[in-house]
Amino acid sequence: MAHSLAAKCTPLKQSYDSCFNTWFETYLKPLPSTATQSEREEWTKGKTKEYEEKCGKVWEAYRDCVSKAVKDKGLEQMLDEARGENPLVDVGSVDEER
Amino acid sequence: MHFFSQSFHYDHSWAHVNVGLGFKYPNPYCTHVTTVDVLDRSIDPNTGIIRTEKVLGCKQKAPIWIVKILGGSEDAFVREVSFVDPKTQRTSIHSENLSLSQYITCIERIHYTPAPSNMAERTLFSQTAEIQTRMAIWRSVADKMESWMTERFGQNAELGREGFEGVLRNLWDRKDSPTMGSS
Repeated sequence: MAHSLAAKCTPLKQSYDSCFNTWFETYLKPLPSTATQSEREEWTKGKTKEYEEKCGKVWEAYRDCVSKAVKDKGLEQMLDEARGENPLVDVGSVDEER
Repeated sequence: MHFFSQSFHYDHSWAHVNVGLGFKYPNPYCTHVTTVDVLDRSIDPNTGIIRTEKVLGCKQKAPIWIVKILGGSEDAFVREVSFVDPKTQRTSIHSENLSLSQYITCIERIHYTPAPSNMAERTLFSQTAEIQTRMAIWRSVADKMESWMTERFGQNAELGREGFEGVLRNLWDRKDSPTMGSS
């Protein structure tokens, strides 16, 4: 697995990535095409809860570590500018660009 | 402005390709990507779409004349925002350079969708990139710089494909072998 931009965050990053990857594989199992919108939402809600329970703690620790590293490396301003120019808050924004 | 685009298939399902993306780096073909960090991740409760924002660190091997003009360093950073939609099975990824973006911008868009020819076992990859210099410089210099970036982009894209195919084979041919034989 790839390293973090700050060596001290790499162990947290790798624990988080493993946790996410394991969960993600189960998340992508397709629901039956007959599933209704409310069944889908119910399923998403259950999986989100499972993700938060399993990976929430390590995610918070990793995020704290990496957000400090982003500041230390002087990346924050570049990121803020990029976010200002392309917020990319929903999927439509990637497709509309084309 | 220079453009680059390509599309091809991976012989793996959309779900397998998406899981594989988490194992893409490091791989021997893409040594230029050295670090990957998740900055933000959320799951939309209505659509189930996962949005992820990452920052990738790369070692860039820019020609000396570009480094001299721009004063760039060896490390370059890229912001990547991806959307994975489990319902429509569509993955959309936007990437842009953070480093040197006051001079030149490279915006890449990638989509992964089930291939119409075999929705269950093949994935269509499509990629476009736009490369544009931002500063007011001699047009010939801007043009040279854009075409160098575009050329590099094509080379990296080809390495990316080879590398990722290897990652997918390692990940899934091994996992699948007890039940499905080597495919």
